Amino acid sequence: MGWEREIEELRARERRAREMGGKEKIERQRAGGKLTVRERIGQLLDPGSFHEIGAIAGKARYGEDGRLLEFAPANFVMGRGRIEGRTVVVGGDDFTVRGGAMDAAIGSKQVYAEQMAHELRLPIVRLVDGTGGGGSVRTLESDGRTYVPYNQGWDWVIANLASVPVVGLALGSVAGLGASRLVTSHYSVMVRGISQVFIAGPPLVARVGETVSKEELGGSEICSRSGTVDEVVESEAEAFACARRFLSYLPQSVYEMPPRGPVADDAARRDEWLIGAIPLDRRKVYDMRRILRSVLDRDSLFEMARQYGRSVITALARLDGWPVAVIASDPHFHGGGWTADSSIKLTRFLDFANTFHLPVVNLVDVPGFLIGKAAEAQGTMRHGARALAALYQAEVPWCSVLVRRAFGVAGAAHSNHTRLAYRYAWPSGDWGSLPVEGGIEAAYRAELAAAADPVKRRDELERHLNQFRSPFRTAEAFLVEEIIDPRDTRPLLCEFANIAAPLRRAGPVPVPYRP
Amino acid sequence: MASRNVRSPTGGIVSIVHRKAGDAVAAGEEIIFIECMKMEIPIATEHAGRIVAVHVKPGDSVSEDQVLVVIEA
Repeated sequence: MGWEREIEELRARERRAREMGGKEKIERQRAGGKLTVRERIGQLLDPGSFHEIGAIAGKARYGEDGRLLEFAPANFVMGRGRIEGRTVVVGGDDFTVRGGAMDAAIGSKQVYAEQMAHELRLPIVRLVDGTGGGGSVRTLESDGRTYVPYNQGWDWVIANLASVPVVGLALGSVAGLGASRLVTSHYSVMVRGISQVFIAGPPLVARVGETVSKEELGGSEICSRSGTVDEVVESEAEAFACARRFLSYLPQSVYEMPPRGPVADDAARRDEWLIGAIPLDRRKVYDMRRILRSVLDRDSLFEMARQYGRSVITALARLDGWPVAVIASDPHFHGGGWTADSSIKLTRFLDFANTFHLPVVNLVDVPGFLIGKAAEAQGTMRHGARALAALYQAEVPWCSVLVRRAFGVAGAAHSNHTRLAYRYAWPSGDWGSLPVEGGIEAAYRAELAAAADPVKRRDELERHLNQFRSPFRTAEAFLVEEIIDPRDTRPLLCEFANIAAPLRRAGPVPVPYRP
Repeated sequence: MASRNVRSPTGGIVSIVHRKAGDAVAAGEEIIFIECMKMEIPIATEHAGRIVAVHVKPGDSVSEDQVLVVIEA
């Protein structure tokens, strides 16, 4: 006879923990169209790979004889598991137990999960539902006191941003600390209809005089456009698929390299239509995403924050199997001009790429910063200056393809000019400090004022100056290194990815990532 | 029948208005062009339906997210 009885008790307690908040609460969770935290973990991870830690932590009540009468598990379930065979840390809020709010065990379990990710150098996925361990005024009664708030575990949460991939999935109404845990990540996803993200929900907001529904306050429409979350999907299953796919491009930690994926596409592939991808008419827009899908590995484009700062596209992708960070312009929004939002998006993305040693491929069509009163009111230059700082601080290998315009400060910021200009230009290239159309009035003011027919003189000047605009004249002076046939772009970018791979350097970077 | 707003993705100046109130439009059809950063940006409707109102005319300056056209879809 050994410790069989104790092991029996352990199993009984574990069984109780798996019942979560009980049948009724689980029914309510399902009625809301939501999975339970244990179903979520099961779907996120490779089948059967979950190794739970702290399952039997919770609140117990004992009889006078010391017998366990009642047990309520902590409302945070965590442990390790595998995604595509690679170990990750996962931690999820259990909304069926006290709505995911704070209790004695949850705080230290959350801290443990974060510390584990950090010290074992493993990615972490947070499944956030509810206040994510945040406070409730009910604790005033139960504790008989209040407390000065502090953000428990935030040392690890922040340290993790600089060392391991962090994914946040919003899987319900997420407020306060929960919202903060969600967003303090490299990539966050919410599910349309079941997820809302806000600082405080409708009841608190009503106290400041705003009557709004949860969806109006923090639904996917708001959060994707504001940049609070990076992706909106239609189901929890899609959210898990996004998390798995996101991690597939990244190393386990900054101490490793992003792993080469399947080499499933021909590096020499040249799509014929690229020769006409950019319209000859300078005023006509085109589909940048179609160009990206053509030059990158087939089906490898994974866009982040598509609805935010929409003049700039940021994406993960592969070239000849190598993971890369892709930046590109979308001329359908502000002509591809950098706005305050797109600058913020770019700053975060560049810091992210630098943190995880992802070489950058930049497809450039930047007419400059967005101009005008609205742009000034949004502090565009302030945010743009930060994007420039991120770009000049990035140390990862970098290749730019000037597909069309590069004007002004933002256009100049297609690469760090002090590094080797690993750069190609398409024959549609068009660049300068100012475009001819906008610059004539400023530069020839006196001459135009003195002309008998200022409009005619302006047109003459424009025609005259336009002849200097040919990219061949720039290439003659070696001010652009190579003009290429657009159809050669993919082979050249695949060559870049192979040259860049051994140049990547493992380890933490000097500028830590900020969310 | 629901009314759908077609909003401007960008600030700029309306250069061309292809359609008027009462016209039927197909999903994906370009209704308006807005000039921004020296580009002509086509504004298409996501929904098929009938145009109820066109709120802008060529030369108007518009801001981001401004409602340009209302469609009964």
